Amino acid sequence: MSSNHMNLKLKIWRQKNIAAPGGLVDIDAPGISPDMSFLEMLDTVNERLQEKGEEPIAFDHDCREGICGMCSLVIDGRPHGKEDRTTTCQLHMRKYADGDTITIEPWRASAFPVIRDLVVDRGAFDRIMASGGFVSVRTGGAPDANAVPISKHEADASMDAAQCIGCGACVAACKNASAMLFVGAKVSQYAHLPQGQPERNKRALAMVAQMDKEGFGACTNLQECEAACPKGISVRVIAEMNRDFLRASLLGAE
Amino acid sequence: MEEDVVVGGNAGLSRVLERILHSTIGLKAVMALTGLALVGFAFVHMAGHLQMFQGPAAYNHYAHMLQSLGGIKWAIRLGLLAACVLHAVAAFKLSMRNAKARPVAYAKQKWLVASIGARLMRPSGAIILFFILYHLLHFTALLVGTAGFVDVPFEQDGVAMVNVYQHMIVSFQNPLITVGYAVSVALLGVHLSHGIQSSLQTLGALNSTYRPFVKQLGPLLSGLLVAGFVAVPVAILARVIH
Repeated sequence: MSSNHMNLKLKIWRQKNIAAPGGLVDIDAPGISPDMSFLEMLDTVNERLQEKGEEPIAFDHDCREGICGMCSLVIDGRPHGKEDRTTTCQLHMRKYADGDTITIEPWRASAFPVIRDLVVDRGAFDRIMASGGFVSVRTGGAPDANAVPISKHEADASMDAAQCIGCGACVAACKNASAMLFVGAKVSQYAHLPQGQPERNKRALAMVAQMDKEGFGACTNLQECEAACPKGISVRVIAEMNRDFLRASLLGAE
Repeated sequence: MEEDVVVGGNAGLSRVLERILHSTIGLKAVMALTGLALVGFAFVHMAGHLQMFQGPAAYNHYAHMLQSLGGIKWAIRLGLLAACVLHAVAAFKLSMRNAKARPVAYAKQKWLVASIGARLMRPSGAIILFFILYHLLHFTALLVGTAGFVDVPFEQDGVAMVNVYQHMIVSFQNPLITVGYAVSVALLGVHLSHGIQSSLQTLGALNSTYRPFVKQLGPLLSGLLVAGFVAVPVAILARVIH
């Protein structure tokens, strides 16, 4: 083992299933290379647990290149860990020092129940998307490129919102477990495009109704979500969604 | 999209109200509008209050004019009462909901950017509510803290007026009342340092151009309000006004 390897102490949330009570468990993680990603560190810990015949720690992951939105983890009180605009899978162990104690918890929200250890059910986001996060279009021949003119400014605003990977860090960071940044991003990405106009009012009403139904909290504009978002989604999407929702509500529009 | 969520054309007023009062964003909008109305009142109140520096005649005339408004006075009072009640009830409902949304707390949680004012909205709001009740019992209902108030009316040009000027002087010569007042008004400043910008964001009135500007304007306006309110009691305690 080379000399720059670190010995870490982990405090990890372990929970057998959705109904069982959970708790923080101390696990030693010796010989961690600074070149490992955070998830590779957990892989290493899991291999050792399995060698000892113990149950590995369950955590979500998929692409491991920062674009799929599967990885989560509140690391030392911050969703996706200490690095700005970075998902957990892209956080590297060189950001830590030998002897560090790292606390690892799942996203905390009643709308995101813990299924096992660090894995939460983010199905609430899928149901919000299904309630209005789409445009209804006729199928048929592909339209000509640039047939619908759109300004660079509007396209950028839409694409910035569409960067959201739906990881749920905004909910995890919010003291009220509010999903306003996520829903705002999904409303805004269509509101800036011509294709999104016909269903604009309907979409805002339906997605907000579903968001409330899932039991997320209300926004108190602390902007912690924006700071925790690995994609840097701006709270401007929340103001835009509020505007769309209030206009649609007051006008009694469809 | 589900039919029970969206209806076409004429939704009807009850449907509109239901959407507003049964949604988190709608309740937040109620808080924002009532909050901004109360901020408007606070500025008018502060400006009126600064007339203490112009002496007893000016101040008592101003108070007398407000008392003579009759129906308008009561309309304003009821409006302010409604704003306070709606603001507090919506805050309570949303706070209950927010507590339910995060039933298990983090063992460790870091604040990333939230200001002190933003984090203290609930305690500062609750204390301001108690202060408003005390303030009304003190200067409007004359039920508490009235030691030294004289019943002799202030008379000028044959008009007899309540000597509110004297009430103010006597009250704020008491350091305890002055300190309690200053602390409460400072908490109002803390509350509004987040409240003003938060209201505008909730109403969707901010975009990326105005947000940074309003983020500085909110605390600045709150500071001005606190300075205006505290100036009078401090001047009285320092015997600049007597």
